[in-house]
Amino acid sequence: MDPFRRLMNLESPPAPRGVKGFFTDTSLCIGCKACEVACKQWNQLPADGFAMTGNSYDNTGALGATTWRHVQFIEQAKENGNPNEQRWLMMSDVCKHCANAACLEACPTGSLVRTEFGTVYVQQDICNGCGFCVPACPFGVIDRAPREGSFEAGTAHKCTLCYDRLKDDMTPACAKSCPTASIQFGDVAELQRRARARLGELQARGETSARLYGMPEGKEAAEVGPLHAFFLLLDKPSAYNLPEVPRLPRKTMAERYGWSAAVGVGFALISALAFGRRSR
Amino acid sequence: MREKPREHGYYDYPVVKRPVWTWEVPVYFWLGGIGGGAFITSSLAQRFGSDEDARSLADGFYVAAAALLPCTPLLIMDLGRPDRFHHMLRVFKPVSPMNLGAWTLATFTPVALARAAALAADRGLLPKVAAILTDLVPRGLTELGGSVLGITLAGYTGVLLAATNIPLWAKSKLLGGLFTASALASGSAAVSLMAALRSAGDGPLHRLSKIESAASLAELALVAGYIGQSGRTARPLTAQRRALPFWLGAVGVGAVMPLLLHRVAAKRSGVRLRRLTTLASLGAIGGSLALRWTVFEAGKESANDQAASFELSS
Repeated sequence: MDPFRRLMNLESPPAPRGVKGFFTDTSLCIGCKACEVACKQWNQLPADGFAMTGNSYDNTGALGATTWRHVQFIEQAKENGNPNEQRWLMMSDVCKHCANAACLEACPTGSLVRTEFGTVYVQQDICNGCGFCVPACPFGVIDRAPREGSFEAGTAHKCTLCYDRLKDDMTPACAKSCPTASIQFGDVAELQRRARARLGELQARGETSARLYGMPEGKEAAEVGPLHAFFLLLDKPSAYNLPEVPRLPRKTMAERYGWSAAVGVGFALISALAFGRRSR
Repeated sequence: MREKPREHGYYDYPVVKRPVWTWEVPVYFWLGGIGGGAFITSSLAQRFGSDEDARSLADGFYVAAAALLPCTPLLIMDLGRPDRFHHMLRVFKPVSPMNLGAWTLATFTPVALARAAALAADRGLLPKVAAILTDLVPRGLTELGGSVLGITLAGYTGVLLAATNIPLWAKSKLLGGLFTASALASGSAAVSLMAALRSAGDGPLHRLSKIESAASLAELALVAGYIGQSGRTARPLTAQRRALPFWLGAVGVGAVMPLLLHRVAAKRSGVRLRRLTTLASLGAIGGSLALRWTVFEAGKESANDQAASFELSS
């Protein structure tokens, strides 16, 4: 350890251990919600109460501070007009662990970090609950726990990709519990290879609506980069409430500051003129 | 009955999360803007104004100190873990507007307090011991540095809101400029309000009146640009519950009315000038709060606007 780090009592970050992630293949999802339950159990997330949404089998609603896996149920009538023929899409949504994460860039305390597994992680002992990551996320994933709560009150929470399990070379709880291999865990590069093969297989079988979301070559990676938790979808992204091109706020920040600065400079110039540079 | 398949979206669930911030945030933005704007106005009067300007328009340093004092408590109150406010300052990370803002506030507040103390000493309001200490404050350097910090404090707030994925805040690129203009309008208005109340001469008030008019004009132009660029996305601000406080409060009382009053005031003098100035200043200061509050609250509604989110990210 170099003397500066020792003097400042700085720990060295752990050595990289590969880029890990999820490939969620929605064509295999049966909507059993085992992932939701396993996630809640392993991470000791409190229940969110019993509420019926009336929207198919989805009584979870959305990802949040205490919900890190969320199974969507999309009921679609088929285009042939026969009311008895419906398509039922299911998808287990999760934090995307973006390569360029908006939440991580927004975080003013350095609580949100990139781990040795390439994942995005909230350090609970650092987060001061400023709430800036919440509207920064283009997917609406991360949220702040209520101040009056039993669960890490007042700080930001989201999927950790089971950081504690990864440390011990274990598979994240959701992927471990998935009975159909709809949620696959592994090295992102290997998962991407698998996803491409799976897409080719589905298309060869005539499932032309299948597509990948979050691959490096995809439109959705333009700003936030490849998603370390990416998906095989059976409809356009917006059907799953996924943005077509998720935005990274940093990309336009300089221009926005530019307008602020221009107004300030203009004000100073006009004031100098109005005061008339009177010598004193 | 069978429903038509949805064109977009998963039921009517929002795409992005609703901001968790509460009333402290717009009030802090407003006070920070006044503080920054007033400090800059007074600094410019010191640098470019006549002796009379410098003397009668120095109260902005008091205004800045008074407006900044509640800012840090407001920022702390809004945190989920207020006891950890200082974690904002454990890193310097200007890519995060929140971090930049915390650093700016933490440095600008002592600068503004020091300059206000120096002013009080110059006016003989401080005991001898304190006056000796304030002699150590380099006036010109404090004004220059404070003005840079002040414009940062006034300007980053709009960029902070815009550096999110809330459609109303992020669609247009002009929110930072709009908040800056509003901050300078309300800050210079606070300076002229103090000058009018202290019965300043006509000269400084007339000159400041021109400056305030320019700020209000810039604010109006930026409102137009902001609304225009936002298009349909601006509806939670311009057409729904917030429409009246926005159009009447932020735009009408906050910018149009001061602009008209300053036009009349240009031909007046003495008591009538001071009355017009007072009224115009109060309008600009109040309108500035209305602008922050309506944009902030409408942004929360905009977060629920699924269609606007898809439009923003298409």
